[in-house]
Amino acid sequence: MSRVLRIELRRSAALGSALILLAVGTLLLFFVDRSVFTTGWMQLAMTQRLYLAVLWPLALAAGAWQGRREHRTNVTELFASTPRSRAHRAVPTLLAMALAVVAGYLAMGIAGGAWIAGTARYLPASVFAVLAVGVLALVAAVWLGLAAGRLLPSPATAPALGLAGLGVLLLLPGATRPHGWLALVFSPIYEMNLPDAYTTVPGRASVAQAVWLAALAVTAVLLVVSGGWRLRVAALLPVVLGAAVAIAAMPRDNRYVIDAVDPVARELVCAHDDPRVCVSRVHAGLLAEVVPPARAALTVLAPLPSPPTQVHEDTTTYVPARYPPWHDDVVLLRVDAGSDGHLANRDLVLAEVVAGAFAGPADCDHLAGPDEKMAAAYWLIGRAPATPGAVALWQNLRQRPEGEARARVVALRRAALGCTVQDGQLTR
Amino acid sequence: MRTVSAAETAPTTHPWAVDAEGLRVRAGRHLAVDGLDLTLGLGVHGLLGPNGAGKTTLMRALATVVKPAGGRLTLLGEPAGGRADLRRVRRGIGYLPQQFGFYPRFTVREFVEYMAWLKEMPKAAVPGATQRAIDRVGLTAKADARMKTLSGGMLRRAGIAQAIVNDPALLLLDEPTVGLDPEQRLDFRELLRDVGVDSCVLVSTHLVEDVVAACTDVVLINEGRLVHHGTPDDLAAQGGAGDAGDSPAERGYSALLRRHRAAGAATPEAGR
Amino acid sequence: MRLYLRSRRVPAALAGAVAGVAGLWTLWSVFSDSREVGVQLVVLTVLLSVIALTATLGGPDDELDRTAAFRWLPRRLAHLAAAFLVVVLPLLATLATGARFGPAWLVARDAAGLLGLTALGAAALGVGRAWFLPLGWTLAATLFPRSEPVLGRILTWQAQPRVSAAAAVTAGLLAVCGLLAYAVAGPARRAPAEAAQR
Repeated sequence: MSRVLRIELRRSAALGSALILLAVGTLLLFFVDRSVFTTGWMQLAMTQRLYLAVLWPLALAAGAWQGRREHRTNVTELFASTPRSRAHRAVPTLLAMALAVVAGYLAMGIAGGAWIAGTARYLPASVFAVLAVGVLALVAAVWLGLAAGRLLPSPATAPALGLAGLGVLLLLPGATRPHGWLALVFSPIYEMNLPDAYTTVPGRASVAQAVWLAALAVTAVLLVVSGGWRLRVAALLPVVLGAAVAIAAMPRDNRYVIDAVDPVARELVCAHDDPRVCVSRVHAGLLAEVVPPARAALTVLAPLPSPPTQVHEDTTTYVPARYPPWHDDVVLLRVDAGSDGHLANRDLVLAEVVAGAFAGPADCDHLAGPDEKMAAAYWLIGRAPATPGAVALWQNLRQRPEGEARARVVALRRAALGCTVQDGQLTR
Repeated sequence: MRTVSAAETAPTTHPWAVDAEGLRVRAGRHLAVDGLDLTLGLGVHGLLGPNGAGKTTLMRALATVVKPAGGRLTLLGEPAGGRADLRRVRRGIGYLPQQFGFYPRFTVREFVEYMAWLKEMPKAAVPGATQRAIDRVGLTAKADARMKTLSGGMLRRAGIAQAIVNDPALLLLDEPTVGLDPEQRLDFRELLRDVGVDSCVLVSTHLVEDVVAACTDVVLINEGRLVHHGTPDDLAAQGGAGDAGDSPAERGYSALLRRHRAAGAATPEAGR
Repeated sequence: MRLYLRSRRVPAALAGAVAGVAGLWTLWSVFSDSREVGVQLVVLTVLLSVIALTATLGGPDDELDRTAAFRWLPRRLAHLAAAFLVVVLPLLATLATGARFGPAWLVARDAAGLLGLTALGAAALGVGRAWFLPLGWTLAATLFPRSEPVLGRILTWQAQPRVSAAAAVTAGLLAVCGLLAYAVAGPARRAPAEAAQR
């Protein structure tokens, strides 16, 4: 059988399908919005799953195109006189198309991975679960396409099936409207867009999705090898069973994936020696880029009384609302990866750290406004800020004598830490 | 020569490769083979008959592509009707249909290997058998060309190659010489004689001189019934100077048909 | 004329296109409250119609057709023009109903561009593969449209709003190239052995 498998890999639609999936997937990854996946491996895996919106219908169409082969080439007469059963005969085709689709998807992941390999360090096990569900989805799609192409061998079946597949994917969230978790069971692209830095896909969700997709794949295989109506009706059984088990396994939270936060990804990882600069584990690859401007900023802040001595990443998540513990001597900095995988807004890190010295705890109501913080920060740095609002305040500060301006800046910091900032305090 | 397995050198337990008794086969709603009695043993048998006589339907029934609607059919010693398990029979059958379907992107070698796999040949024997079959039909030069690039005659020869790859005990060829030039037809007759030594070959054709040259006996059917089964010399002896035809065999053919049609017109309900 | 239509399986294609549009129109009317159909669905409906008509671009034996005594160029042009009308007219008709597939210029632009792309595919890859590029490109363009750089507007022209000049130019170019390629060359030649199959 391995000879025949090799022949099928070379001569069927397998090679073409793999290349098309790889090309389309890579184009989507790199031309739609690179910053979506450059944060880390989990974001890459989730974004790959999101682009299944295009790849899944294409896999359906590829399977239907291949499934039509026996009818298109008139070989049924010849093959009817051979001893090998239809099921046995279908195995190399099923294997070849599955291998092709898996290879295309994984190669797309490798292409994306090559882009972020330098800076993405955190690789949790759930990444592989997300990837596996994506792979299963494509295998189920191509096998379903094979079944459809065999059962409805018209030339219009392949593109129509692709469009129908897209229709199903797009309609699933709407059709299950109040129950978002149902859409999560059946749709491999649901809740996969714009992944947060600390996002994760809980194992239970992946398991439920995998069960459903595996049942779909089994049904597809049964339909491919079916000869009469009995087996075709029996093929409904795995689908129904799989749906039931998947629905039972999925928790009933409507925003299960969006609300999931990976605590390990949020843990702080710090650079050696003082002053301490820490980023979250998922951004650990960016630590080397954060440290120099952060330490320079701490040096700028050193003349202040009780200056901050550490810079930590701001691991606040808004959904669900979780805030890092507040310390007076720690400046919180927002760290993001840009579309090239490296630190975004590298030039602004210095100013942001200095401005962060004038921020207060999250549960505080009287905080300094962004313009005031920037004006104070740039006054300490000695340059002009960028935004017009901050520029006005900064010039106001500059016009005052040195001692008075310094006193105002120090007062702003004390007020921010004590949650007692008053409006326009800096320049009144 | 290739090595033969013990199973192949074991003496056959069946007296005839094909044993049909009152065979009835439908083609659509029409009963194309109607009460046919036929026994075929080793040798090359030519199947002649006018268009619509049921030749192709008979070939399809013998190839186990369609199930007989009535009567008894025994192929290679195994019953072939009803709910029989046909796998053992099919391993010993080679079939070239009239409308030869193929995978155009496969090369000749790959297609013959694929057919060998479909016929459940032992894996180790496949490459050697494929090469041998391709050599025997004279396609060695084109063995690695894609099937869609072959001309009509070469395509037919590729079809013959896939039919003989498993050295079948029962070889069924439906119009195998379509598109072959005269020299290729001579080679094909040589091949037929070679294969017919130790298997039963049934060749359905319109070319009477092919039948005369290569076949050990001739089967003539008309309207689903057996008209004549005998040697080519018998066939030629049936005809006289007044019958249509340019050769003795053709004259015998038209004479037999004329007589069968006259007999059928005289007693239209006989034998039903 | 009737034989030509039958050889190209035009009735089935027409039925498929119209049924598809009718089905989607019904779905929108039943399940949605707004009168304007979403842009995504409009583009996908146009694609569905174009795909239904793809098979009519080639007959069972194109080599035989090519040996005809008359000139094929004006006939192929007429065929494409008729296909354009078949795609556009039912959708324009819905503008008068409760589920409006519009705007009209978007429908016309996308129909012309997609038909041109399909005709180009038929001339280059053969009728059987002509739908590869329209399907893949349109799926990606409608799901992930980009309007920022000009290149983004060109690459996702199917989903751009009515006023976009880049999209109109792209669609026009595709329509013209496809029209010329298909009218002049006809469907791609197949190897004789392969042409004997369906």
